[in-house]
Amino acid sequence: MKKLQFDWQSPVGRFRVWALSFRGGITLLCLVGLLLVPMTGREYLAKIVITAMILAIFAASWDLLAGFAGQTSFGHAAFFGISGYFTAAFVKFFGAPWFLAVFIGASDAVLFSVLIGIPCLRLKGPYLALGTLAFSLILYNLFLTGSWLGGTQGISGLPNVGNVFVLFYIIAAFMVASLVVMRAIADSRLGTVLKAIRDDEVGADAAGINTTVYKLVAFMVSGFFAGIAGALFVLDSTAVNPAVYQPLYSFYAIIMASIGGIATIYGSIVGAFLFQLLSEFLRPLAAASLLIFATLLILIIRFAEGGVMNPFLGHVQDLWDKIRGR
Amino acid sequence: MGLILEVKNLTKKFGGLTAVNDVNFEVHRGEIVGLIGPNGAGKTTLFQVISGFEKPNSGSVRFNGVDITGKKPYQIVNLGMARTFQLVRSFRYLSLLDNISVSCLSPRGKEAFGEIGIDAAASSILASVGLVDKARLPPVILPHGDLRKLEIGKALGTNPEFLLLDEPFSGLAHEERVGITKLIEQLTDEGVTILMTGHVLRELMTLVPRVLAMHQGRLVAEGPPKEVANNKIVLEAYLGRGEAFA
Repeated sequence: MKKLQFDWQSPVGRFRVWALSFRGGITLLCLVGLLLVPMTGREYLAKIVITAMILAIFAASWDLLAGFAGQTSFGHAAFFGISGYFTAAFVKFFGAPWFLAVFIGASDAVLFSVLIGIPCLRLKGPYLALGTLAFSLILYNLFLTGSWLGGTQGISGLPNVGNVFVLFYIIAAFMVASLVVMRAIADSRLGTVLKAIRDDEVGADAAGINTTVYKLVAFMVSGFFAGIAGALFVLDSTAVNPAVYQPLYSFYAIIMASIGGIATIYGSIVGAFLFQLLSEFLRPLAAASLLIFATLLILIIRFAEGGVMNPFLGHVQDLWDKIRGR
Repeated sequence: MGLILEVKNLTKKFGGLTAVNDVNFEVHRGEIVGLIGPNGAGKTTLFQVISGFEKPNSGSVRFNGVDITGKKPYQIVNLGMARTFQLVRSFRYLSLLDNISVSCLSPRGKEAFGEIGIDAAASSILASVGLVDKARLPPVILPHGDLRKLEIGKALGTNPEFLLLDEPFSGLAHEERVGITKLIEQLTDEGVTILMTGHVLRELMTLVPRVLAMHQGRLVAEGPPKEVANNKIVLEAYLGRGEAFA
């Protein structure tokens, strides 16, 4: 039998090794399954998955900040909302192409993350969380009560990027690119320093690390990807209103990242899809759906403290190994 | 030998308690100096102030001729002064290699080790502290002696000229103390200046030619270890004859 030979150094060789690994194979299978969704021709399903993909980017951006850098934010909706508003304004009032508007929106979220980050980084733990929450509440009330940028109505009537299936592929591309980049950051030298700050900030300081700068960088990177999610959300719904700043959105990100697994980035995909699918399936049950949803969340948090993704993949891998007789 | 550290009239108060009271001393380049005193004497607070983790109420600290009083800890580290802690601080979810890499990624570490690469430098430091075979393990599973070595390794990742070692023998078994002693001797051979605290004189006697003794925030004696150990005031007022040579 001819032996498989790879050039381990080449990107193609490394990709083949990864694709033939258990996790690589599962990832590729999920990706193929995702890309087949539009081929079912079911718009409703495509819309649910589009929302899940946007929320996955949003949850992963929170995970990067809280899970890897240890900076727990309860006001992540601020980045999401600022980017959404700027994207909508640039598309509606300046006729900017949607692709450019997404990056303008995300860049504004980065600027805002600096504005939030500088005063909030003096705070730690629950005080930091409350500080960020206060900023998002300020924005919510400013946009709700102010007549500028549409007041309570916000900005609506944005042009469609394309039909739902075109939008699906665009958002899928953004999700894959965003999560791969975020995971690469988490695995990089920057990620190592952020994890050190999370584990022991005093120790990182004693190691010669300017922790304030690194934490600010974490805020900016996280703000950028939350901004990407906010911009895509607005393009999907063709409108934006002050509700995007509600604390509920920040808690959605926290819940989804926690369900999938904190400090994993990819767990956010699992969390967002579970969250979105559960929300949709339980919707017909009206008020009872909230009770069931809350109970499921408590069970998940109680029995899968590290999230469901890694234990689930572990079980699947055990099963796969048994099937293959290893 | 030029001066590397100059502490002048340093005072640190916490409310009504004066933890460091008008302390003056100097350390010369290449020296290894012991700082002794009973628990609560102010040794750790003095370290905290010198290394920038606490701001003094008055007085000054000069390092290599530069006034570092009130500077931030990371700025002081990047000038060449690193420290270890009495209670070991490790990055518990990072491997030992990454624990060291973090220090190597400081501006001073990058300047020193950038050319050979951060991983190679971190591996080399792990080898020098005797932990290279555990490079991929997390610190949470290490025995206390290895954690002390890791603590020193993390400080070495910043390529220090001057090391503040806070109770490096605390909580260690005899074999582990021997290992740390060898490591400190190796560092002084390489030219690193060391100021280390301890409340048991036995290890310090073999390592340091000069000792500073503190009590109630004040520096009360200075000199060769035997001289300080036999100093009547030190023995009677601060250490107690039995404890000093325990």
